[in-house]
Amino acid sequence: MHPPHRNAAQQRADDIQVFLTELARLEAQGIVRLSDAQRQAVTTHHDGVLAGLTADFDIDCSTSARQLSLGMRVVSFLAALALGAFVFFLYYQFWGLFGETSQVVILAGVALGSLGLVAWIQGVDPSGYFTKLAALVAFTCFVLNVILLGEIFNVTPTNHAILPWAALAFLLAYTCDLRLMLAVGICCVIAYVSARVGEHSGVYWLSLGKRPESYFPVAALLFTVPRIIPHQRFAGFDALYRVFGLLCVLLPMLVLGHWGSSSYLLLPPSRIEGLYQLGGFAVSALAIWLGARRGWAGMVNTGIVFFIIFLFTKFFDWWGDLPKWLFFLAMALSAIAVLVFLKGLRARSLRA
Amino acid sequence: MTPRKLLLIAGAAMILTTNAVLLAGVAYNRSGTPESRMVLSEREFVWPRGDDSESENSGLSLPLAWRVSMDETQASTPKEDGLGINPAWLNEQRLAELGFKRGGATGDRPLGVDHLLMSERGVLLVLELAGSTWQQALQRAEQRVARQASLREANPDSEELAAEEKKARREWAREAHEKSRLFAVDAGADLASLRTRYPDKSRYLILPAILHVYGVAGRQGLTRQIQLRANQLHVPHALRGLLPSPPAAKPSFTATVTVGRKLEPWIEAVTRR
Repeated sequence: MHPPHRNAAQQRADDIQVFLTELARLEAQGIVRLSDAQRQAVTTHHDGVLAGLTADFDIDCSTSARQLSLGMRVVSFLAALALGAFVFFLYYQFWGLFGETSQVVILAGVALGSLGLVAWIQGVDPSGYFTKLAALVAFTCFVLNVILLGEIFNVTPTNHAILPWAALAFLLAYTCDLRLMLAVGICCVIAYVSARVGEHSGVYWLSLGKRPESYFPVAALLFTVPRIIPHQRFAGFDALYRVFGLLCVLLPMLVLGHWGSSSYLLLPPSRIEGLYQLGGFAVSALAIWLGARRGWAGMVNTGIVFFIIFLFTKFFDWWGDLPKWLFFLAMALSAIAVLVFLKGLRARSLRA
Repeated sequence: MTPRKLLLIAGAAMILTTNAVLLAGVAYNRSGTPESRMVLSEREFVWPRGDDSESENSGLSLPLAWRVSMDETQASTPKEDGLGINPAWLNEQRLAELGFKRGGATGDRPLGVDHLLMSERGVLLVLELAGSTWQQALQRAEQRVARQASLREANPDSEELAAEEKKARREWAREAHEKSRLFAVDAGADLASLRTRYPDKSRYLILPAILHVYGVAGRQGLTRQIQLRANQLHVPHALRGLLPSPPAAKPSFTATVTVGRKLEPWIEAVTRR
């Protein structure tokens, strides 16, 4: 059966390597021995599978290739950021030399051209590294297209401009199978929804950080998406929706746990802070439990990180005046206690 | 349809539609009779300093330099970020008329810990050019000169008083010839009612702004901060040659600023003096 995406293909290749390694171990211990005909058949079959997967998905067939791929992923992300910045500053350096009509044509033309480049590169780059690069540049060009047109014609800034950006980011994410663009699209949706919620509550949309509770509705939306839209063909997309949804709950709670006056609630700030600190512990613990139960590693890790952050900030509130050695001893002992708890959780999941 | 075809078709449609909507909005704003048209001098614009970031930007955008009269004794100086703080006319009653409600304050209880239900609102800001508010600022400067001069006459040997008089004269000269004559004098939610109150479209600009109101726990009084939503006016390419590039000194010029049907302003003409 042909794998639906690169991650599945890589998993298949890894399974073959693991099988061959274990087979060699069993043969060395005399537990099993394949005949020459069987060995030849297995080798021929695996060679064919690996060749097909390499041609279709550009997978890593060895440990060194896998390590290099990790480096290439980091480098391609940095290259994408640098190229995006290059396009941004290039525009600003030269845009004033052209008349308004030329500026409009150039901005729209470059946005369209970069989109075409993504489509072409996708056809010749099965690994996806260069496609990711081109996609981020195309997105940057479109963002600049809208921002610069707004500057040229003194258009009043509006949060509705985020919608087409989000739409393009999602289009690039789903047509090119790019988690980076999905993250960008999700960030756009988060910004738009929280800006709209904030505006209805008396906050100018560019000040959307002033009311952290504005992010809760979009968190609900992000949790809902993977439940109603199946993502079997897109590795890691579900996890991204869930992790961003969780961040949209936990980060505001962390802020409100220390800055209660920014809440919509009509309670004394100290009470609001207490409520959100308790809530933060509860939600991060719930995320760890739910993630462990469903096998959602992203939820578990995000929940653990925020649980520790809430814990340490609380320790600082309680014991910040203690001598430094005592304070850090308390922090270390707490971290060890959490480690022991997680070890127990892991052992229970292995038994299950 | 293959993903590549979908990407090309849907992506191109998105980009073209977005540009079309944006340009249609611009065309609508600049069509028909403008909402207002005002001739401003170089005093009413902030000239860019020409630092590193600006030197890499070949376009030129000029922020409007507008001021507020904070109380009877002072008027603010213009800033590039277009923020006006605590205008005298924006009192509690005016805030209530603009929809700012206070939570937790009842009856005659004085201002205390604030928890505003609405801390920011979009409003329409009225900017007056060389009107009574500017005249008052000029009169205050003249009165300061007269006061310092009489003090110096009474103490002719005092170097400190001599320096204060010199400073007062300098301030008067700046107020008369250099500082912006554009003052924020009112705000409202409805354009028609504001225009009824300020019908002279060559003397009063009405532009969208954001009013931030916030209080500090335990302190009386509220900080009221106004910010124009589109403070930077792009200088069109056709007019660009009339103005030098920063960091060259600010030239003497007049600019015709027109405000369209969507209350989006643009620079229509520039004349060097």
